Parts: sequence; C-alpha cells; structure tokens
Amino acid sequence: MSQPIIEIANLVKRYEMGDEEVFALQGVTLTIARNEYVALMGPSGSGKSTLMNMLGCLDTPTSGTYLFTGENVSDMDDDDLAEIRNREIGFVFQTFNLLPRATALQNVELPLVYSGMPRAERLQRATQALERVGLSDRMDHKPNELSGGQRQRVAIARALVTSPSIILADEPTGNLDSKTGQDIMRLFGELWRGGNTVILVTHEEDIARHARRIIRLRDGRIESDEVNPHAPVA
Amino acid sequence: MLRWPELQESFRIATSSLRVNLLRSILTTAGVVVGVVLVVLMGWTINGLDAVWEQTISIIGKDMMYIDKWNWAGGGNWRKMEARKDISLDQALVLQQRMESAEEIIPLIRKWGGSVSLGNTSLRCSVTGTTAAYGNTSAGTTLAGRFFNDIEERSADNVVVIGYNINKNLFPSQSAIGQSIKIAGIPYRIVGVIEKRGFLFMDFVDNEVFIPLHAFRGAYGFVGRSFSVGIKAGSERLLDIVRDEATGHMRSIRNTPPGDESDFSINEMKAFDQQAKNIRVGIWVVGMGLTLLAFIVGSIGIMNIMYVSVTERTKEIGVRKAIGARRSSILLQFLIESALLCLTGAVIAFPIAQLLVGSARFLAVSVFEMDWASVVSPIIPLDLLGIAVGVSIVVGLLAGLLPALKASGLDPVEALRSE
Repeated sequence: MSQPIIEIANLVKRYEMGDEEVFALQGVTLTIARNEYVALMGPSGSGKSTLMNMLGCLDTPTSGTYLFTGENVSDMDDDDLAEIRNREIGFVFQTFNLLPRATALQNVELPLVYSGMPRAERLQRATQALERVGLSDRMDHKPNELSGGQRQRVAIARALVTSPSIILADEPTGNLDSKTGQDIMRLFGELWRGGNTVILVTHEEDIARHARRIIRLRDGRIESDEVNPHAPVA
Repeated sequence: MLRWPELQESFRIATSSLRVNLLRSILTTAGVVVGVVLVVLMGWTINGLDAVWEQTISIIGKDMMYIDKWNWAGGGNWRKMEARKDISLDQALVLQQRMESAEEIIPLIRKWGGSVSLGNTSLRCSVTGTTAAYGNTSAGTTLAGRFFNDIEERSADNVVVIGYNINKNLFPSQSAIGQSIKIAGIPYRIVGVIEKRGFLFMDFVDNEVFIPLHAFRGAYGFVGRSFSVGIKAGSERLLDIVRDEATGHMRSIRNTPPGDESDFSINEMKAFDQQAKNIRVGIWVVGMGLTLLAFIVGSIGIMNIMYVSVTERTKEIGVRKAIGARRSSILLQFLIESALLCLTGAVIAFPIAQLLVGSARFLAVSVFEMDWASVVSPIIPLDLLGIAVGVSIVVGLLAGLLPALKASGLDPVEALRSE
C-alpha cells in the first residue's frame, strides 16, 4: 500500500473560553489513504469542524501529530501551512466563499496566483477546471450572476485547479436545494472515480451515504469508523 | 519572497476596491489632497524665490565687489566697524591706480535720505556720486538714454541717471531723457534711466539716482562720508584673485600693520545669500509644519478607512488564506490599496495646486503689477510632482501599515467564520 495521505495520532485540541478549558478534540487517531471517499459526520459540538480545520491545515493541534503525505504539519508556521493548503488542499465551503467582485475565471485562478504561476498557464488551467465542472460558458460571469449550484461548481473548480492531494468539502450542499445538491454530489463522485481523494464534512445522512467510508465523531472522539454499506459502486 | 503574479493580483484588488468605494475613497483622501497641495505650493514658492533672487543678483552683478567701511551682510562687530576710519576718495583713487587684475575700479559715495523733485512732486531716494565707469557694470546698464560720460564728468555738467522706480513714478507716460529734475535744489539734466534691478526685498536699489562726483561734492560734500569702492572683476572666476589683490593694496593704502585685522570690509552679492536663505528656511519651516499637519490628519483618515476595509473584508481574507495566501500576500494587498488611495489624493491635488499657482502668479503679475513675479514659473515643475507622488505613497504605506498587519495576522479559521 502506498503511503497514506493523512496520518493523525492522538490529536488533541484545547480551547480556552474564559476560565474554562474546552476540549474540542480529545485524542483522535485516523489514517486516510489516497483516493478514499470519506464522510466525516457528527452533531454540532462533536468536534468535526475542528477536525476539518486540522485536516485542512487551517489550524494546528494542541498536542498529537499530524503527518500530511509524510510531512509533519503539527508544528509548521503560518506561511508553511499556507503553502501546504495552496498546493495540497482544495476547499469547498457551504457558503461557496467566492470573491464577489471577481469573475468565475478569476476566482478559479486565484490559488494559482498565490502559487506564483505565470498568467498564461494560469488561464489555461483555470479554463480546464471550469470545463471539468461544466461551466465553460460561464467563465466571465460574476458570482451574483450565477445560480447556487453554479457557484458551488465554480468553488469546486477552484478547489481542483491546483490538482491537490485532497478535496475537503464542508457541508457542500448545505445551501442548495436537494436536486442541485444531488448534482453536486454526483460531481464529487466523478472526481473520486477520477482518482481524487475526497473528504466530506456533513451532518446529513443522505449526503454521507455517497461516501465509501463514514467516520462519526462525538464529544471530540471517533465514535465509529466504517465502510458505508450503501455506497454506490465505484 | 515576493511573486510577480501576487503583486499584479494586489494591484487588481486594490484598484477594484477603490472603484467600488469611489466616493468614500475620494472623501478619505481629503487630508492627503491638502498635504500634497501644500507641498507643491511650498516647493513652488521656494523655486520662485530662488528665481527672483538669482535674477536680482545677476543684474546687480555677480562679478562685482565693494570695499566698504561696513559689512553689508550685517555680520561682525558694529561698534568696531563704526570706529573704522572713513574710506576717502584719495584712497579709492590710489587703489584704482594700483589694481591690475580688475576691469573697473569705481569710487561711490552715497547719501541715503536724499530726494528728487519734478515740479511739485518730490520723491525720496538715495543719491550716489560716482564716475562714468559705473556705466560699464551690469548694475549701471541703462534702459533708456545712457550713463553720463567722462566728458560730462570733466566739464562738471549737472547730469543725472535715474533708477527704474524714480523714472516710473516721475515720468509714467513720457520719456525722461533730456528732462530736468532737481536734487538738493539744483537742477540736473536726465541723460539715462537704469533698467530694473531690484526684486522683492532688494527693491530699494531702484530708488537711486546717480550724479558725477563733483556734483555730489557740490550738493552734499564729502566730509563725514565714507566712500565705497566698486570693483568689477570681469568674471566670477576672477573674484578670488581680485579680492586678494584688492585686500593687499587696501591694507597698504590704509597702513594696516601686518597681522592686524583689516579695517574695511569686502562685500559681494554673495553676502545677501544669507538673507535669501533665511526667507527660504522660513517658508520651508512654515510650509513643512502645515504639510505635516495635513498629512497626519490625512493618514489618520486613511488608517481609519483601511481598518474599515479590513473589517469589511475579513471573510475575503479568510478565503484567500484558506486557498494559500501567505501573510506577506495579504500585507501587500492592503499596503498597495492604501498607497493607491493616497496616490489618488495626489492626483486630485495636482490640478488644484496648478490652479492656485497659476492664479497666484496671474494676480501678482497682471493685477497687482508686481514685475518681479514674472520670473516665477506659472506651472508646477515636474520634480515637485515627483516629490509629491513619492511623499503621498510613503504616507499611504505608513498609514496602511497597522491595518495591513492586522489583516495579515488574522486567523484563517476565525476569518472564515465571520460574516
């Protein structure tokens, strides 16, 4: 077996809220291999958002280790983390988080801007990514000229454009009607079948059922970690 | 390490953000606009002063020096100078014989509180007795007629050459040449009018009339007056040589023992440089003070609006960080935005400054008829624009620094969560 993408051991995250100490994660151990399709589930307060922030290298743990493609990211500084996020992680958010004044193409280009890629190459790759999510005819539209589903597709194209090691989607259908949500989930399925590693964070069973593996969190610990019996075949 | 695509992106964001908040941006720059206008006005005023001053000293004669009992620039010990023996005409004439390096040696004797009259009109002026050689100096250049000559001097004619202001006031609409005016009750025939020489605080030099030495002796006498000896070096280059030679002769003529201080002063136009410099410094200090104040007020406004911008765009900063923007990228983005904001102020300020400069000059020259103002440039020089642009960018960077640091230091998780 090739090296896992994510290896987490005894991950603890502690917050101080006033005088109180809150343990968002209380020793999470987890391994995710390349080309897995994982759903991270749990009620609010279960620590799933905190875990997602850790996995996405947006935050660092209080203790424990996090190896991302073999590299220890637990104690990296801000700029190193930014570089890992830029290169290895594609984020898809519930609220899309597109830049309102930029066109679809400019939004998709942005991660490549921060990796310092020359303009011509950037445009080429952003165009390809938009074609892949079926939006080649909407490239010059601004987010407010696009439907919710289209916006989320732009966000997915932005996540894909750097060819990251994982795609990390946080409630990606939370702001969409169910039909559009299904379209988006079909797109994630295609990406996974195309060789991408997809991690979904959700509290909806319907959505989680698209994944091959479901990890449930409760009170900052992994409650269950099992193969999804209902998963569609690859 | 700074990357070119990031820099371009920063400019794109900054310009689009300024466009979106156009009115807010323009209002914010008001302080910077005032600051830039003041910088430009100050610079222009100093440049103008320099031009006027240059004009003055070049007309009066850069290659001239004057041996005098007094030090014109006002330095030195006043009592000591008062105690010096007067310089006599004989001493001046001996110097004239001995000097070899100079072009002209011109004895001058002056009465400060004199007056000239034409009919019932009387004007205060200084009356200077001198020789025909004065006409060969740049200070003696005539606008109309000529300077009096050797023949008139020797034949003891009562002839006079009048200064620019005297001519303007006594003969506003007719030629002065050949007319008769009275000095100390004696009629003189006007043979020439000196061109305009004085500007600004040197204006008094145009209230002067020149008569031959014999006429001066007749009118006021030489007793109790000290001569001044004008020396025309011929070129600025020769000033040092001429000064040395003149000092040597003069010390020997006045029997100054070796080692003693000279009991006379050698005055050059340079001596007035200090006065011009003081005015310059005065304008600079006042101007700088006002400018600084405007820029402080301006930069507080900029800083405030940049804080607003950072707060408004917290979410955007979070997104940018999530997809890989480093601290430096965010820092740069906001610094560029704030620098461009100030630059906008500078761009708004230029036409305003130009309008002020143009009108000031127009008023001075055409309405108030201040002739000296015509040598001042009616347009803002390019280097001043450059300085103003530079200063406004620096102000923008300084004012934007704290907000930009705040933005770049935001925690991506917190920033993404904000609405």
